[in-house]
Amino acid sequence: MAGMSDASVLVRGLRRNALMLALVIAWEVAARLHITTDFLLPAFSTVMRRLALDVGSGQLPLALAYTLYRALAGFAIAGLSGVAIGILVARVKVARWFFDPLVSVGLPMPKIAFLPVFVLWFGVFDESKILMVAFSAIFPVIVEAAAATESVDRILIWSARGLGTSERRLLWEIALPAAFPQIMTGLQVALPISLIVAVLTEMAMGGEGLGGTMMQSMRFADSPGVFAGIIAIAVAGSALVKGMEIIRRRLLVWHAEAEAA
Amino acid sequence: MSALKRYFPILLLGLLWEIAPRLHLIDPESVPPLSTVAVAWWNLLRSGDLASNGLSSLQNLVAGLALGVVVGTALGVLMAWYKPLDELVHPVVRALYPMPKSALIPVMILWLGLGSASKIASIFIGCLLPVVLSAYNGARGVDRVLVWSALAAGATRRAVLWEVVVPSALPEILAGTRNALALSFILLVSSEFVIGQRGLGYLISFLGEGGAYDAMFAGVLTVATVGFLADRIYLAIMRRALAWRE
Amino acid sequence: MSGGISFDSVSHTYRPARGRAVLALDRVSLAVREREFLALLGPSGCGKSTLLYLLGGFMPVETGRISVGGEPVTGPGPDRGIVFQNFALFPWKTVKQNILYGLEKQKLPRPEREKRAQEFIDLVHLTGFEDSYPSQLSGGMKQRVAIARTLAIDPAILLMDEPFGALDAQTRGLMHEELLGIMEHRPKTVVFVTHDVREAVYLADRVAVMSARPGRIKEIVEIGHNGRPAPEVVKSSEFIDKVDYLWDSVRKEALLAQSQKSDG
Repeated sequence: MAGMSDASVLVRGLRRNALMLALVIAWEVAARLHITTDFLLPAFSTVMRRLALDVGSGQLPLALAYTLYRALAGFAIAGLSGVAIGILVARVKVARWFFDPLVSVGLPMPKIAFLPVFVLWFGVFDESKILMVAFSAIFPVIVEAAAATESVDRILIWSARGLGTSERRLLWEIALPAAFPQIMTGLQVALPISLIVAVLTEMAMGGEGLGGTMMQSMRFADSPGVFAGIIAIAVAGSALVKGMEIIRRRLLVWHAEAEAA
Repeated sequence: MSALKRYFPILLLGLLWEIAPRLHLIDPESVPPLSTVAVAWWNLLRSGDLASNGLSSLQNLVAGLALGVVVGTALGVLMAWYKPLDELVHPVVRALYPMPKSALIPVMILWLGLGSASKIASIFIGCLLPVVLSAYNGARGVDRVLVWSALAAGATRRAVLWEVVVPSALPEILAGTRNALALSFILLVSSEFVIGQRGLGYLISFLGEGGAYDAMFAGVLTVATVGFLADRIYLAIMRRALAWRE
Repeated sequence: MSGGISFDSVSHTYRPARGRAVLALDRVSLAVREREFLALLGPSGCGKSTLLYLLGGFMPVETGRISVGGEPVTGPGPDRGIVFQNFALFPWKTVKQNILYGLEKQKLPRPEREKRAQEFIDLVHLTGFEDSYPSQLSGGMKQRVAIARTLAIDPAILLMDEPFGALDAQTRGLMHEELLGIMEHRPKTVVFVTHDVREAVYLADRVAVMSARPGRIKEIVEIGHNGRPAPEVVKSSEFIDKVDYLWDSVRKEALLAQSQKSDG
């Protein structure tokens, strides 16, 4: 297809997102024609305007900051301790003996059910939310980190040992870099979980995060507020996932090249 | 027997849970000894609270999950089979996928009120996309020579969809449903926290607010155990269904 | 030629989702007599499988015409059974269920279906394995199931796409005898794609050599067996000469194909 004109790119983009656009247009039309009440489905334009308002007033950025703080703090705790535990499980027999049943039982459990326990232990403010996030997100990290460390190419290790590398250097300079891609994958799974759980805890407990403000809007039958909240969370979620992908690509430049070779 | 060996550390933790609060190594207010939790569990069972709330949770879970799996599988398979449908729907799916479905709970409440309907709807929406994607991938991955063999044997295109594509996609569909199962528990409990009225999630938060911590722990462990067992049972069923794979 | 197959100036272009379109077949014309065993021989990429798939009706014929018994081919059907290299068995069905599949499509009554399925299981010497799953069978056994499944619906034409390519040499030899034995009982028109010259000369009545891409019929060689070939025929000078000749012919095309690849 020589010479892709701007028009043809536009047309292709339109065709690909045809349903999406149609839905958005239908949404706007339905609201304008009052087919559905303003309460049930506020107009797309209304929601957009509300979004702009909240962003401008600083209300939305503040709520977003709270939610992100909780999500990322929990994610950091889960990430660091999860990787540490995972590596330990792969290398130390006792650690594996102890953690394996815990992780295998904990993985399929709805960990959100423990929220009231965390509230009992840590109160109703940020701490309980952050720890709830960490508790939910840590399991996939442990699993991937353990699997990654275990599967590090034995040949790699033997060659390094053969060259006289000490055990500690072995860990830091050979094993960890080799395990890194899969560990990264575990972190990429944990990140959306962190956001979801942060929002969920806010919805259940209130507070100034996005989850809390959404529940407030709902209670006041402020549907534009609720929809604006959804869009904000969706955008935040996408941004975090995309950000993670970029970080992964940057950090694993050598990996991609090795895979291509 | 090997299961017992494997889960032994959990038994040890259980023992610790009993001894430590009693010896005041941990605050027994925050962590009631395991035996008092067990007693509280028994009382919940006898009073009928566990059963009635459990039933409500079960009904909502099954309804939401079943709907999500059936609709999701149908949509995913049809998208893989009919290109126009795929072109239409796929961008929407891809756009909606990264959004945390739990964020839709307030919208469901807005639309369906505080009751079972919004709980079921939240579960349905949460489970839908993962099932759609795994059904889609499974159906797309069908080996074309299987489809051709069926056609050469005299099957119509529609028969091929049912008789070749779906069974071929079954491993992926079952894997996706396993994820949906885990998600459905999460959405059930969260929607019960938020919406209340009935259900094990509601029961747990009610007990917590009322200060009945041993009963609260009993409730939490019940939900956690049911979630775990559901996954294990599902795994066993899945292995049976895929026995032909060896 | 009531049951024969005819290809009239058939061309086919591959249009991949990404990349350039490639002419796979260039005005192929060929006639296959009824009850004839025709081998399609050629280097990889010459389009012989494509020709088979077009005959099978799995891909639409864009240019030219393929007719069976005078009627043009419009889609797949039970009159043209197909056997693939990777067996294409339904892994979730047992041996018996696989073979029953086509019979169910034929809408035969149940007792009749069961009888025929058992007949063909016995025919390919898989008695006792009715309830086994494909994952439990060896390559040779799987191919026998595939053949049984296709033969059970009694197609007039049998299409075979390098059916023994995935088998080891010993098994392949056994399968040759098995196939010839079946053909003795129920003769059919067979179009057999292979890149193995000796296999082609041993099994076929005629061998059509295809050129490197874009595929054309380079030449057709009569093998002229009198009835079923005996295994010793491979030592005869006639056989060896024919194999040498065809080997050479195919080799020239293979070298051409090789140079095509390096040109990109």
